[in-house]
Amino acid sequence: MQSANVLLKKIVRSSVLPFAAQHGMKKDLFPLSRTLSLSLCLKQDNSSGPSEKLDLDAWKKVMKSGLQDEVSETVSEHKELSTLAAAREILEMWRLAGRSVPENISEEQLKTFMECPSKSAKKKYLKYLHLKELYKKNDKRKMDEKRERKQEAQKQASETDETKRSSLVCLWANAMDKAYSWRAAQAMIFGQPLVFDMSYEKDMSVREVANTVRQIVLSEGCNRRSVDPFHVHFCNLKDDSLYHKEFIKHYREAWGKLLITATDQCYTDIFPKDKLVYLTADSPKVMKTFDHNKIYIVGSMVDKSIKTGVSLARAKRLGLETAALPLEKYLLWNSGAKNLTLDQMMHILLTLKDTGDWKKALEFVPKRKYCGFVSKPVHELKKTLNLINTLKLGKRQEEVRRQFAKNYSKKLMQK
Amino acid sequence: VQPPEKPLQAEEWNRLRESFQSPEIFEEVMFNSMVRCNSPIDVAKSLLTHVAKNNGDIAYNLLLKYLALCVQQGQTSEIRDMYDIMKIRFRILESGAYNLLIKGLCNSDQWRMGLTLLEEVKKIMIPSRTNYESCIKAASRHQEMNLAFELYHEMLSKDLVPTLDVLQAFFDFSRGMKDAELQKELFGVLLYLRENQIYPHKTFMRSIKLWFESMPGGNWRGHLTNIKDSGQCPVCNHQLEDSDLTEEEYNNLRERIIRDVIHGTDTFRKTSPQEFEAFQTFVENRLPFDIVIDGLNVSHIKPRRMQCENLFDAVNCLAKENARLLVLGRKHMLINSSNWKREVMKEMQNKADFFFAENISEDDAFLLYATLRSGKHCKFVTRDFLRDHKACLSDSLTRHLFRKWQPIYHVNSKKMFLSLFIQQPAFSYDCVVQTTGDTWHIPYKDSFEEKYSYEVPRKWLCIQQQ
Repeated sequence: MQSANVLLKKIVRSSVLPFAAQHGMKKDLFPLSRTLSLSLCLKQDNSSGPSEKLDLDAWKKVMKSGLQDEVSETVSEHKELSTLAAAREILEMWRLAGRSVPENISEEQLKTFMECPSKSAKKKYLKYLHLKELYKKNDKRKMDEKRERKQEAQKQASETDETKRSSLVCLWANAMDKAYSWRAAQAMIFGQPLVFDMSYEKDMSVREVANTVRQIVLSEGCNRRSVDPFHVHFCNLKDDSLYHKEFIKHYREAWGKLLITATDQCYTDIFPKDKLVYLTADSPKVMKTFDHNKIYIVGSMVDKSIKTGVSLARAKRLGLETAALPLEKYLLWNSGAKNLTLDQMMHILLTLKDTGDWKKALEFVPKRKYCGFVSKPVHELKKTLNLINTLKLGKRQEEVRRQFAKNYSKKLMQK
Repeated sequence: VQPPEKPLQAEEWNRLRESFQSPEIFEEVMFNSMVRCNSPIDVAKSLLTHVAKNNGDIAYNLLLKYLALCVQQGQTSEIRDMYDIMKIRFRILESGAYNLLIKGLCNSDQWRMGLTLLEEVKKIMIPSRTNYESCIKAASRHQEMNLAFELYHEMLSKDLVPTLDVLQAFFDFSRGMKDAELQKELFGVLLYLRENQIYPHKTFMRSIKLWFESMPGGNWRGHLTNIKDSGQCPVCNHQLEDSDLTEEEYNNLRERIIRDVIHGTDTFRKTSPQEFEAFQTFVENRLPFDIVIDGLNVSHIKPRRMQCENLFDAVNCLAKENARLLVLGRKHMLINSSNWKREVMKEMQNKADFFFAENISEDDAFLLYATLRSGKHCKFVTRDFLRDHKACLSDSLTRHLFRKWQPIYHVNSKKMFLSLFIQQPAFSYDCVVQTTGDTWHIPYKDSFEEKYSYEVPRKWLCIQQQ
């Protein structure tokens, strides 16, 4: 011990002190020297004698002890495990091993898990359930916190009791609902129709259908809250289809009271064919203006695996006009697919209907998908760039033009 | 975190833990870095002891990580101990633990224990291919070839794909053995390579060669060689198998392409029924063609020239040989524009048949159809690898046929300064493992890394019996 201290002093004197003094950190010196002395002690202990030798296998005794009686019990149980129970146990072990596996899993989910065709599909499904569970837990925690805060606030409010008076009874939510319903009812009589084509069930997985319905519910909500709603039609919606079941799951008893038209008929049976326009990202035609006399059709499809041309094929078969949003004309596209979610489509269409302003409407395209708006038409941009380059470089205009085309063609040029 | 070099006492671990920024995951992070740095297991043991004393229990994931460390260092007795402990502690084990246990035991002299564990895994799930790999390698290493092959066949019956390492192990460890049954099995492995179009890498090829040469009384000799373009082996003068598809294969492929690629789930996705019918009658009336040209693809060969000029050059170049040409295009090519001059189009139409599809249709499907309908001699010109169409084919067998068919009739045009088309010599022989009984020809890859899937190896191992 003593020699260690001597050594320590030496070290402190020779190296640390000048450094510390230089930077004025005398406070920091103390803990540093303490750890130093410790490690020095340790080395000495080890070399001097095995008085304090570690029992390296002590943990094995701990793990093996006190469990013998429990084991005999489990072994007998072990034999008559059903496949479901066995799967449940494996999941539990995976969870212990630190994989992304949900803590609780329902019988139904377990069956879906077992039916997954491959190992990676199983893994993906488990991860999905795990994340879902995490989100749920987080939400619940936040809700609890909020409730607590609210209760506290109420307590304080009741202490400082003070009644406020105003001319309006506080029934905001209810009143708003009535107003929205009134508007939607009007739209059902006078509004411009907007069709959701529900005929893509066989092109989608169960999860994609669930996502689709979720997006439609969101779209319906934002339509109801808009100033001048569409008259929403759900066409080709068969009873007892997956779509239908998912709708009931979302709306419950409100499904019957929804101010939309749901029908198993095709839109071609309801509306004149020449008025219909099928909106699809694959369309070769680009929409120029929003036509208030047309009836736009949106395919209710979430396409996670890339199946190009499915909705275009549908429109071709029925001989309908098609159109795509002019995304490339107005946005400098960055990355991502050009097909947008259904609620984004609804937002865009509503904005177009109300204002006819493409820039405002295309604000609803996710920001990650584009770098910015094209402020001028592309050919004008190109012209000015050309002009600048010609002035700068004189005769080599042709070369510059080519260079430009090479660099910017992907970003700017339209087909 | 740097793991310590020597086992630490409990209070030292405590101190380290407290100095760590998030103490609740300290043990996990520490074990991870121990595995990474391959620390001595005594250090890991001391940490486990510390955890056990503190908590009275050790979490499963820590045990797993310790096990991984033991496996990494080949500590067989520890692995066995771990197995006992885990069995006592938990009702069943999961795949990760079994993977480690089987791997660890199979690499030791207790490899039979690994086999019993494999049986245990089978009760709860399908073992992974690495499980089988460890067991097969262990069995072959101990010259139990029958057992190894039994496991191999079991693995194949479960649709698991063996790694090249497993296949190589068979050849490595049956060197010099005289056993007719075993020989048949190894020939079976070579045929497996043939059927699945797998090419061995250089070291694997060497194992095969050595095995052949070590066969007692077989008098096999192996030589490395390059096959001539004519398909003749320079060593034994043997002519390799023809790459042509058989009549049956060809018809099969044609039907599949019409069914899966052109019609698919919905004919309207790539064309429309009316258009396809019109195209069919068009083709039937003018059969057979010698060369089918993907007009749009060819017209983009030189980006600085007018598109119709590119196409014009191509048509001219190919028309010289008095071949019947079909050019597939789209309707927009007919509209006079800066890229498509009407006069040039007119002139081309005198030299070749043209079919213009709708602007939104896919012309590749038509390309395939016209080529296949014309017969085996017909070639097509495109730079496209047609991967998306290959992906539409429903089963792997047809996909193989398509691949076999494609490189032969695929005239690859290279971008050259003036001469537009240079035909790449297509192989006239089939590039797969092949045998005549007393000779074997095995193509191999130079390096272990996968080459492009469309490239076939040029180097061969020729083995002949003297």
